[in-house]
Amino acid sequence: MIIGVDAGGTNFDAVALEDGVEATAKKPADEDGAFGNLLDELLAEVDEVDRVVVSTTRVLNAAVQERLPDSTNVLVPGVGLSPELAYAGDENIVAGGCVDHRGRVTEPLELDADPSNPVVAVTAKFSTRNPTLELEAADALDADTVAVGHESGGGLGFPARAETTVANAVTKPVFEEFESTLYAALADAGVDAPVYYLKGDAAMLSRRAVCATPAHTLRSGPASSSLGLVALSSVSDAICVDIGGTTTDVTLVEDGFPALTESVGAGKLCTFYDGVVSVDATVGGDTRVDDDGLTGVRDGSAAAFGGPSPTPTDALRVLGETTEGDEDAARDALSKLGDPDEVARDVVDEFVTAVTEAAGSLERRAETVVVGGALADAVAPLLDDSLGWASEVVVPDNADVCGAVGCAVARVSVKTNVHIDTARGEMTVASAGEEKVEEVEQGRRYDEDDAREVVARETAEATRRAGGDATTDEVEITSFRSFDVVEDGRVVGSIVDAEAQAEPGGRYL
Amino acid sequence: MTVALVYHEDYLLHEHTPTHPERRERLTYTMDQLREEGVLKHPSVEVVEPERVDESEMSRVHTREYIEKLKHLSDEGEGALSADTHVSEHTWRSALLAAGGVVEAVERVLDGENDSSFVMSRPGGHHAFADSAHGFCFTNNTAVALRKAQEDHGVDRILLWDWDAHHFDGTQSIFYDDPSVLTMSTHQTGRTLFPGTGYSDEIGEGDGEGYNVNVPLMPKTGDDGYRQVVREVFEPIARQYDPDLIFVEAGQDNHFTDPITDLGVTAQGYVDLMDAAVETAAEVCDGRLVASLAGGYGIEGGLPYTNLGVIASLAGMDTSNVREPATYEPPSDGPSADRAVAKVKENLDDYWEF
Repeated sequence: MIIGVDAGGTNFDAVALEDGVEATAKKPADEDGAFGNLLDELLAEVDEVDRVVVSTTRVLNAAVQERLPDSTNVLVPGVGLSPELAYAGDENIVAGGCVDHRGRVTEPLELDADPSNPVVAVTAKFSTRNPTLELEAADALDADTVAVGHESGGGLGFPARAETTVANAVTKPVFEEFESTLYAALADAGVDAPVYYLKGDAAMLSRRAVCATPAHTLRSGPASSSLGLVALSSVSDAICVDIGGTTTDVTLVEDGFPALTESVGAGKLCTFYDGVVSVDATVGGDTRVDDDGLTGVRDGSAAAFGGPSPTPTDALRVLGETTEGDEDAARDALSKLGDPDEVARDVVDEFVTAVTEAAGSLERRAETVVVGGALADAVAPLLDDSLGWASEVVVPDNADVCGAVGCAVARVSVKTNVHIDTARGEMTVASAGEEKVEEVEQGRRYDEDDAREVVARETAEATRRAGGDATTDEVEITSFRSFDVVEDGRVVGSIVDAEAQAEPGGRYL
Repeated sequence: MTVALVYHEDYLLHEHTPTHPERRERLTYTMDQLREEGVLKHPSVEVVEPERVDESEMSRVHTREYIEKLKHLSDEGEGALSADTHVSEHTWRSALLAAGGVVEAVERVLDGENDSSFVMSRPGGHHAFADSAHGFCFTNNTAVALRKAQEDHGVDRILLWDWDAHHFDGTQSIFYDDPSVLTMSTHQTGRTLFPGTGYSDEIGEGDGEGYNVNVPLMPKTGDDGYRQVVREVFEPIARQYDPDLIFVEAGQDNHFTDPITDLGVTAQGYVDLMDAAVETAAEVCDGRLVASLAGGYGIEGGLPYTNLGVIASLAGMDTSNVREPATYEPPSDGPSADRAVAKVKENLDDYWEF
């Protein structure tokens, strides 16, 4: 059985999945011991857990609300353009030292500055070709939290890698706090299955790799609901709308998988990570309503569920669109703003208009809309009237826990950069997390078929290190080149350089 | 300010022989450096993928017989134009794409789409004559693009500065009697380097007399010597000629690590050369400047850094940290360019004020 956990800002949802959804659970995020309670409820119906997959909005929220610590960005730029292009930290320190395009250390590390922040990022130029200087610098620094560039991901691009490494460094503390709480709750519940996190590109990654690169989770929330709604509705092309307590996430599905965009960021953070195409509308079921309408702020639960303020959930309850919760409490809360029925109609109109606008803001080729979240059943018919372009508005079974379902159906996928230089006798495989550096037979020459086979094998292996089970057949090589190295007029080896990834995916239930 | 960086993966296809100095790593290592530096994603750089020119465009410069010969050898998949210039199955189509790159780069600048442009192509072209070629070249891509620019855009005067270490014998021959393209070459003297031509008394002929400038330099000439030539020859002539466009044939083989030449220019020296071209273009032709990679064989040496330096200069980036890694030791002072400059002035005194 696979456990999917969607830790949103309002609710924690969980599902147990085998051939279909076997059990579900839901707890308010602010409840004491929410994870433990959630797991207790779910595990009462589950025998054996094969893996746990989690999505979280914790990192995103901290970034958007600017609750992240200041960072010191240590750069080893070597020769080339100004290191200022990579000044991504609150403090930036430039160290001496140089790695060249072949991965050769051409100048040794010189670092004698003390970071003034406890959170430090270290990025060297060409570190994905040779991580030595980054590792030496990280060792030499006395910092509580360190992120290193070569663990941020494969590929070339020093300024973007520095930004991404800073993003990973500053999100490590908040992620570790979240992660350790969940991990302890799993241990208490007797679950020792491997734990994964959903990345913003709707593929999952081992807990260990995400602990090194928590900025991968910036779009984890919309990725999970999108993947979940695809699985539950078996759509190929659609707009997915996940109505949460605080926000509503709109995502785009093409060919049965969430559409992706490059270079996801949030708040001050920039990364070179892909993420799902997503529009985040600041309206949700628990958004506080005042005299001017929806405020964009959540105080707590809806009044119908014991919360402090009137909300769209209360408005839907008053209009009879939902049946759960205390109708009298909902009516009382709305009556502070005028005639409760009139206020409720206005609130629901504004709410549906906001969701309609968000859903209509994505370039789409589909006319199907899939709705998820606790209010999906109530809101979908209203959206059907309001969305002029939609041919159908669908609410699949278990739409209220779609994010948790998305986690449970995810696969492991990492982008790798495989660089083999047989003249140097070295191979590096950079992906998310620790880089593999291995000696290879010096002077060996590869023909293209052999080289592609090595790239596929190393990528499958990197995927396995990240917790996956990809075979070489499932690896897609996205860029490839190989050529002989000639030194002093002699062929002394081959260079193979490739980018690849195991195909991400979900599944239809 | 944006620079068009014209590049195509197919520029890697053509090869002479397995260990030939003009081989694909000249571009791959540089592209690695540019990717790692973030140049390709920098807001002042637009990466442009060119298309091949039509065969008819080659006829602007080359004879029908020569074009047919090149096509035939390419179809055969092997052959040679000279002892060092080998044809493979990819040669003809690569030449069409290399010319297409230069055409694209020139048109973008003349149309005002980009302020300047740099072509990262191979094979090169400045040793290609109308009816033959040698020196790793096949078609004179620059001449094709400039002829097209003159016909399609009505450009009156173009200043072509070829700073490759080798004399631009093919280019010189094509424009030798033509004052509408002022050709200037700085190179290692033909007494010590292929192709053995390029003396300062080769000043053009007919209407083109006075419009061909050769500055042959002694082996080991370094940054100071080149700066002197810029100051005393290139800049005064550029001001007086008042071109509509400056074109730089950017040979990167003046670098001190180049294995087949013997000059002493550093990466910072290259930055200075391109800075001078940029400043002069700003002064005389509203900044219209096109540069195209010519030679440069320090594949395991300085080439990625010289290429980075000139592209960064074109893009107006901070170039103060562009240099060779410390594993390469720059030469001490090279010979003076006094004599070379004096001879140029002497030969061209009737045509230009120095």
